[in-house]
Amino acid sequence: MTAYALHPQVGLRDEQFGALAYHYGNRRLTFLNDARLVTVVRSAADYDDVDAALDAAGVPVESRPAYAKALARLAQAEVLVARH
Amino acid sequence: MVDLEPTNADDVLADVLIEEISIDGMCGVY
Repeated sequence: MTAYALHPQVGLRDEQFGALAYHYGNRRLTFLNDARLVTVVRSAADYDDVDAALDAAGVPVESRPAYAKALARLAQAEVLVARH
Repeated sequence: MVDLEPTNADDVLADVLIEEISIDGMCGVY
């Protein structure tokens, strides 16, 4: 079971398109182009598994594989940290 | 029955959801 939390070195700034995530360590800037994804990223630490976070953010079941991929990429980019 | 296995369509949507750029060397822009 995978869970995530926002990386402690990442700052999130709300934008009209969603949010910008800036990593102060690796200086990567990531555009989050979806309000529900932003909700999941912000609240990920509050849930013990990613499905619960996706459910709480209102992500449709049919879209969850894509959101899960996006979250995995955010973990690779160190925007999120995985919790197991 | 809904197929929840990742598909190419999921990759496309994941690409739309996030975009990554490096601004190394542009300190102070953000």
